[in-house]
This record gives sequence, structure tokens and C-alpha cells, in this order.
Amino acid sequence: MPAPMPVGGLTMASFALTAAVIGNAYYQKRQFYPSVVYITKSNPSMAAIYLLAFTLVILLGKFLKKVFFGSLRAAEFEHLVERSFYAVTETCLAFTVFRDDFSPKFVALFTVLLFLKAFHWLADYRVDFMERSPVITLLFHIRVISLLLLLSLLDLILVSHAYHSTITRGPSVQLVFGFEYAILLTVALNIAVKYICHTVDLQSENPWENKAMYLLYTELCMGFFKVVLYAVFMVIMIRIHTFPLFIIRPMYLTMRSFKRALNDVILSRRAIRNMNTLYPDATPEELTAVDNVCIICREEMITGAKKLPCGHIFHASCLRSWFQRQQTCPTCRMDILRQPQPSPASQGQAPPQAAAPAQPQTPPPQVPQQVQPQAQQQIPNPFAGLFRGMPIPMGPPVDLAPFPFAPVPVQQAQQQGPTTSSSTSTTSGATITSSSSTTTTSAAATGGSTNQPGSAIPAASFNMMPPFFPLFPFNIPPPPPPPLNFSAMTEEEVRQLEGNERQHVEARIQVLRNIQTLLDAAVVQMNQYASIVSSLDKSTRINTASQQCPNQTAAASETMVPPQQPTKSTDQTEDTSLLVTPLLFSPEANDSSFSSSEEPSTSKPEVASSSPSNLDSGQAESASWLGATTVADTSPPDPSDPEDPEEIRRRRLEHFSQNS
Amino acid sequence: MIATRLLKKELQDLGRDPPAQCSAGPVGDDLFHWQATIMGPPESPFQGGVFFLTIHFPTDYPFKPPKVAFTTRIYHPNINSNGSICLDILRSQWSPALTISKVLLSICSLLTDPNPEDPLVPEIARVYKTDREKYNELAREWTRKYAM
Repeated sequence: MPAPMPVGGLTMASFALTAAVIGNAYYQKRQFYPSVVYITKSNPSMAAIYLLAFTLVILLGKFLKKVFFGSLRAAEFEHLVERSFYAVTETCLAFTVFRDDFSPKFVALFTVLLFLKAFHWLADYRVDFMERSPVITLLFHIRVISLLLLLSLLDLILVSHAYHSTITRGPSVQLVFGFEYAILLTVALNIAVKYICHTVDLQSENPWENKAMYLLYTELCMGFFKVVLYAVFMVIMIRIHTFPLFIIRPMYLTMRSFKRALNDVILSRRAIRNMNTLYPDATPEELTAVDNVCIICREEMITGAKKLPCGHIFHASCLRSWFQRQQTCPTCRMDILRQPQPSPASQGQAPPQAAAPAQPQTPPPQVPQQVQPQAQQQIPNPFAGLFRGMPIPMGPPVDLAPFPFAPVPVQQAQQQGPTTSSSTSTTSGATITSSSSTTTTSAAATGGSTNQPGSAIPAASFNMMPPFFPLFPFNIPPPPPPPLNFSAMTEEEVRQLEGNERQHVEARIQVLRNIQTLLDAAVVQMNQYASIVSSLDKSTRINTASQQCPNQTAAASETMVPPQQPTKSTDQTEDTSLLVTPLLFSPEANDSSFSSSEEPSTSKPEVASSSPSNLDSGQAESASWLGATTVADTSPPDPSDPEDPEEIRRRRLEHFSQNS
Repeated sequence: MIATRLLKKELQDLGRDPPAQCSAGPVGDDLFHWQATIMGPPESPFQGGVFFLTIHFPTDYPFKPPKVAFTTRIYHPNINSNGSICLDILRSQWSPALTISKVLLSICSLLTDPNPEDPLVPEIARVYKTDREKYNELAREWTRKYAM
């Protein structure tokens, strides 16, 4: 082990001291054996001898280091000193357990162990260094291979020696050494695997994409072995001696790194599987639309590029390497594992989750009136004049409806399924193309321009709803929310957060799009409510309109109508015919019932004031309800709280609309 | 190897379009060990100083962040006496989209605007928060002493 002290001086001093001791003994005793006896009996003499032995060991270590490593780099030396310090302190702790065994032999064994450890660490650094060094000489290979063979052999021999010694002579300090060498053996194996990986990588011209994966798995396996070894050793030590304090730190580190390796493997596997299965290959048009340089490797992307859900495009191989370490978009840091996946499980979950925001939210007042009659006609008369040549904007696909269809005759429900799905499929093509335009208009509208209170935009957005629905369940993570306390950030950080670059704008549009989808989901839910209530009404009517009827409708409507107006709503449903039933969803009823049920009365005027711009108010509400980052807030900001996040969002949005 | 190619490219870009107040380049033949200099930004107490940094690139750069440390001593709440820098993009918030020139610019802006909420040297952060005049004075003094 290279000591940090001036070795030359130490060597000279120890040699001189030993020479003096021996000379003195020989001078006094004149003969060989008496001199030896004299030296071994005299403590100061022995100290000088030990000092010489120590010096010789250091010299030997330096020699071996020279043979196997050449000169050490500064970083290597630093690491070595640091780790040696821990190794020495831990072994000193181990001494306390085995203080009965303390002897020169023990010290010698400990020195050997420390040496071997140091050489393992150095071999590890050297093999890591392979990757960054442009030229690997033959000497390097010879050195590393011979060193690894030697180290493994020594480890094996020492483990077996410790094992036999423990078996024949009972548990002693050899237990600790055997265990330490077993750990070192795993380290040596790990280094060997790394070396092989690096060598294979260096031999081939093309970068080896799966290397990181292999290394990760090696680390995982070795971590597992180590954890098992530590656990076994711990159990043995507790049974034989006492609690082994000295392995707490390495054991903790090992377990932590094992846990991290396991986590890495799981997450990276998931991310890479997502990338391979879910994310589309970037088309040549997309590549030419953006600057077709992969931002990870700064090479041009010609083939093998993948597009993440956030719209950023990278080489698939670069993405794989990155996902082995972290599972975020390199450009916008979006967590790709929290992105919704169109898997059956999430489809099943989606409707109830989407229903949750739909209930408290105030629907745009005019929309229900517009859509309701169609729904009304659709359910009771499934066989005649169903579509009347116009696309049916709503249509609860059967698997999406979270509500019991029990009152509706089964035949109707069956009929409903295929027709609506066909209608959605016919409209989906048009809606997808129009989606970008609608989102941009809505984004522009958020800047302050009043939306015309009409049917054009809402209708388009409702059409868009069904095909998008499974893609965007409610649990879309909002992009990383801004820290609530902006006062803690400097001007520049806030400005940086705001961002004018393309990806930020894209992210904002994405958020707006998500908000719109949510809004649409809410409207569809409302429509489903309406149709269920009406069909309920009708079916009970058909079933000889018993006394149950008002109760049932009341129960159904009570889910939406607050308790303070029960008489009104039940009266309505009781008295009105089929066509009048949608009045339940007239603007006033909705406004009063929903705002009063969900929010305190203060929000009521706000809703009323923003009624001309349906979409805007709805968006603003849903977005603020969601806590999304970007929000279309047409209502005047609350002057009492200037640091309110809403206020900041509004400002950012204005800024954004100016830029766009 | 992606790292070697990328580092060569970054070196070219640095030569072609050097960032303001910064410079960087490899030490000797080792492409993975660079030295960088940052001029103390104007309107900061470090104005006029020249600060040296070492940069060690990991073998799996750009998938892991480079190790950047000051070799010149500096009086700053987020930089300790070893020269370690407390900067999120050098740790958890690293992204392969970042380049060494962006990192150096971030360090420049950290010099102008320290982050006392997440200090590496709590004492300096305390001075920075409570007595800005004293902080500026000490930072100027250290800059004169070590970086000029």
C-alpha cells in the first residue's frame, strides 16, 4: 500500500534502526543464537524489527503496484486513501470482537487483507478507466488479466484456508477474514465481467448498446451475492460472538446499492419496453420539421429515431442508454413512466376517474341543451331516424359508461354500442385533424379574446372526445408543477421557468390539450347522466308508472341536485314529459346546483359572468381544479393575494399568448 | 464510444462559439479531464477574478453528469472549500441535453445569484441572507486574494 508519508526517509530510518539493533545485539552477545534470543526478548528491538517488516511490506506493495498499475493517477490515489481509512477503522472495530486472537500473525493477516483490498480497488479503477482512455495498450491488457487472475486465485485460496481453519479449529478471527475474502472474490468477479464488457466494446467499431444493461445486471447479481454474504455472516457472528458492529457500514452501503440496482433494472426495463412498444418511430417529415440532430449524441438522426409522448425525438439507442439511468425526457424532463398508457387496465380505470372531475364542475350552460335532444331521441328510438344525417356528437360506448344501464332495455343498449362506435370512428378522422386548430384557438382565446357563444368550437371538441378518451385518462400527470413559493426564487429563475423555447410552448399546448380533453370528458359524462335520467324516467313510465317513479327519479337526480332544491327537481322530473326532461340541465339549474353543491357561494357570480365564453370558463375551472400549470383564466385575478400561483399562471399565460 | 465523439464535438463547438466569460479545454491528451476558467461576472462581487475549475467526465458521459469543481477558492454559499459545487444540474437534474458550456454558464449565473436556501456552506449563506454588504465585502476580498 503506498503510504502518504515520505517512504524513502522511512525506509532509510527503519533500515538504519534495524542495523543498529542487530549490531548492538551481536556486539553484546558475540554469537548468533544468543543474539537472536536477545533481540526477541527485548521489546525495543522487536519494535525496530516490526518497523522494518512494515517498511518492507510497503516497499513490496509499491513494487507490485508498479508492476501491475504503473503510476497511479491523482484521483485513484485519493480514492485509495479514503477507502483505506474506512477499511482500517472497520478492522480496528473487528479487533475488539477478536481481541483474544490479537497477535503479530493477526496483524500480518490484516495487512495482507488490506493489501488485497487496495489492489481490488485499484483494479476496479483501472478497468473503469478503460472506457475513457482512447488507447489501450497490450501491456494494459496483460496487466489487468494477470492481476485479476492473481487476485481471484489469492481470494480463493484464502477463503478455503479460512474455511478449513474454522472447520478444524473452531470459529476464530479466520471467520472474518474468510468472509472478507469472499466479498473480495465477488468484487474480483465483477471487475472481470466489466473488463470483458469493455474489451468487447473496444474491439467492435460500433458502440455496444446493451453494454450498460449487462453491466447493470452484473451489478445486480453481485449486489445480491454480497447482500446474502453479509446476511449470512451477520447471522453467524450473532450466533457465535456478538453483534458485528464493524460490518454495519459496508452492509448498509451494499444493501443500498443493491436496492438501487434493482430499482434501476425495473424502471429501465419498463421505460425501454414502453419505448419499444408504445412510442412511435419518428417519420422523415417529423425529422425534417425539427432540427434532426439527436440532442443526446449530437449526431444526425436518419433512422431509428423514436418520438416520446412529449413530442421530442431522439435516437432509440441513445434513449435506451439514457433510460437505463433515468426515465425522463432529456429535453423537457417529463417522467415517461408516469405518462398514461393505452393499456386495458388504464382504460378500465379511466371512466370513473374522469367522472370525478366531471361532477363538481359546472358544464357550459348552452351545451346540454344542444346535445340533450339528440341523446333523448337516441335512447328511446333506436330503430327509427337515429342519426338524421348528422354526426352524433355524444355516444357513451358501453365499456366506458360507469353508470348502471339497468333501466334501459338490453336490446337498446346493444343497439347503442355499435352505432355509436361507428359514429365515433367516422368522426374521429376529422376531429384529430381539427384538434390542433381548436387547441390553438382556445389557447389564443385564453389571452383575453372573447369566444363567440356558439356551437362551432364546442361541437368540434365534443366530436373529438371519444377517440381521445382512452388515450387520456384522468391521471395524466401535469407537467412538473411550479414551486408554490415564487418569492424564494430569483428573477432569473422565474424567467427561466417561464421559458420561451419551442419545447416550453409545446408543453403548454399539450397541457391545454389535456385540459380540453378533460373538459370534453366532463361534458360526455353530463350527457350520460342526462340520458340515464331520461331513460330511467321513460322506462319507469313504461312500466305502468307506479308510485316508485318519483322516488326513483329523485334518487337519480339527487346525485346531481343539492338537497336544498329537492322539491323543485323532483317536481320537474315528475311532471315533465320526455322532451321537457332536459330542462333539468338548463343553465340556471346547472349553475345553481353545481356551484352551490361544490363550491361556496362566492364562485357563483364568477360562473355567471363567464358564461358567454363557455369553453374558456370551463377550461379555467377544470384546470384550476386540477392544479395544472397553465391555465386559461378569464376571470379577474384576486387583488388581495398578488403572490397567488393562479395569478402567476395567468401572467405566464398572457406572456405565452403574446409570444405565440 | 459515444463519450469520446461527443467530447470532441463539444470541444469543437467551444472553439467555434465560446460562451461569454468562460473557457474550457482538455488537460493534456486526456479527453476526459478538462480545465475550465470562469471570469467573475460583472455586477457580482467576483468581478475581475479568474476562477479555475476542473472537469472530470465520467466514462458514460453524457448519461452521467461531469464532475465539476473549483480549484480556485471562492466565497460563495454553494461552493465549499474543496471547490465542490452544489448545483442541481450537476447531480439529480442532469440531462444528456446539457453541454459543458451550458454547465459553465449555469455556474456563472450561480456566482451572480447564489442560492442560500440550499447552501453547501451554511455560514456563508447566513451572511448572505442577513448582511449582504458584509457578504459582498468578503467575497471581493477573497476574489482579490485568491483569484487575481
